[in-house]
Amino acid sequence: MNGVQKFSINKRNKGWLKILIGTAVLLFLLAVLNFFVSPIKNYFYTISAPIQKTFWSAGVSSSNSLISFLYGESLVKENENLKTENQKLLAQLASLQSIEHGNQALSDLSVSCQNDEFKFVMAGVIGLDDEDILSINKGSVDGISEGMPVMNQQKVLFGKIFKVYKNFSKIMLISNKNSVINVKIQQDLPAQAGDTTKPEIDGVVKGSGGLNAYLDLIPINSDINSGDVLVTSAIEKSFPKDLLVAKITQKEKNDQKPFQQAQINLFFDVKAVDNLFVITNYKNEKSQ
Amino acid sequence: MWKKLLVIILLFYLLALLQNSFFAHFNLFGTAPNLVFIFFFLLVFFEKKENNYQVILFAIIAGAFLDIFSYTYIGPSIVLLVIIGILLKNVQSLLKNREDNRPFIYFLPLFIIFLLAYNLLLDLYLYFLDPNKIAVIISTKIIFSLIYNSFIASVSFYLYKKISSFYRK
Repeated sequence: MNGVQKFSINKRNKGWLKILIGTAVLLFLLAVLNFFVSPIKNYFYTISAPIQKTFWSAGVSSSNSLISFLYGESLVKENENLKTENQKLLAQLASLQSIEHGNQALSDLSVSCQNDEFKFVMAGVIGLDDEDILSINKGSVDGISEGMPVMNQQKVLFGKIFKVYKNFSKIMLISNKNSVINVKIQQDLPAQAGDTTKPEIDGVVKGSGGLNAYLDLIPINSDINSGDVLVTSAIEKSFPKDLLVAKITQKEKNDQKPFQQAQINLFFDVKAVDNLFVITNYKNEKSQ
Repeated sequence: MWKKLLVIILLFYLLALLQNSFFAHFNLFGTAPNLVFIFFFLLVFFEKKENNYQVILFAIIAGAFLDIFSYTYIGPSIVLLVIIGILLKNVQSLLKNREDNRPFIYFLPLFIIFLLAYNLLLDLYLYFLDPNKIAVIISTKIIFSLIYNSFIASVSFYLYKKISSFYRK
C-alpha cells in the first residue's frame, strides 16, 4: 500500500518536473532568440515584403470598392463638398500669393532656421498593426534612423520612425496613444487685408488609438472653430514646421476647465496610402 | 505528420501576412481580426485530448508569427498561447460530453473568454514590461475586438468543420 502511494506521488512529481523543465527550456530558448531578434525579424520581413506589398495593395483597392459600394450616395455628396472646398481654397491661394511676396523676406529667415532642403527616402507601406504602428520596406541601409519624421507627398504628417531594422522600419503614427505633438491652429477665416495682429494659437494633438486623435491644451479664451486646420508648430522639435496634421471637427469648451479640447479629423489616410517619405536630414534636437 | 505540420506552418505564415497587410484595411474601430489566433484556437479546439505536445507545437508556431510581425520581443505571444492551449484542452475535458464532441455552444464562449484573456495579458505585458513603452491602456477597443473576432471565428468554425469532414471522407 505504502509502495503504491509512493509510486503515485512520484508520478505526480514527475509530471510537475516535466512542466518545470519544459517551461525553463522554453524561456531559455526565447531569451537566446531575443539576442538575434533584429536579424530574425529583418529576415522574415525581407522574404515577406513582396507578398505583403501585394496584399497591402489588394487591401487598398478592396476597401475602396467596399466603401464605394456601401456609401455610394454619400460619396457623391462628399465629392461635391470637396469640389466646393477646393474652389474656396483656390480663391484663398490667389489672395495669399499676393501677400506672399511681402512675407518672403520674413519667411526666408525662419525657413533658413529650420526648413533646410530636406532629403527624402521614399518607402512602400506594407503593414499596419492594432497599436497604430505602420511598417515600411526601407531600413537602416537606406539611411533611416529612429525619430525621423514621415509624411506623404502632400506634406501630410504621418508620424515618426520608431524602430529600425536593416531593411525595414516601423512608424509610430500620430494617432498612437503614446504620441503627443505640438501644433498651431490656422484659422479658417476669410483673409482680411492688414490683419497681422491675430495671435497664433498653439495646442497639442494627442493620439487616442484606432487611427484617431484629439486636440488638447487650447487656452480657454482662444477662439477656435470647426474647419480650422492644424499644422506642426515651430515649438515642435521632432517635426519640421507647417506639416499638415488635422482639421477641427467639433470643439468641446467647458468653462470649468482651464483648457479647451476639440475633436479632429486627421488628414492622413492610412488605408489609402501606398508610399511615404521619410525626411532623413531633419535636425532632431531631441535625439542629440 | 510532417506534411501536416508543414501545411500548418505555411497557413500560419500566410494568415499572419494577411492579418498585417490585407485585413489592416478592414479594421473596425481600430481593431483588425486576429486570424492567427482564430486558426490556432480552431486547431486546438478540434485536436484530440492526448495530443498535448501538438498543442504546444501549434502554440509556438502561431505565437512566433504573432511576435515576429509585432514591434515587441519574440516571446509574449508564444508563452500566452502555450498557456491558453493547455488550459483549453483541460477545460474541454471537464465539459460534459455530447453526441457532437465539439459543439458550437462550447466553442464560442470558450473563444471569447480565451481571446479576452490573451488580449488583456498581452496589453499588460506591453504596458508594464515592453521596453518601447508604447502605452496600451485597456480600453473599449477590446469589446470591438471580441465582437469582430467572434464573428470571424464563428464563420471559420463551420468552415473548418466542413473542410475536415470532407477530408475524412
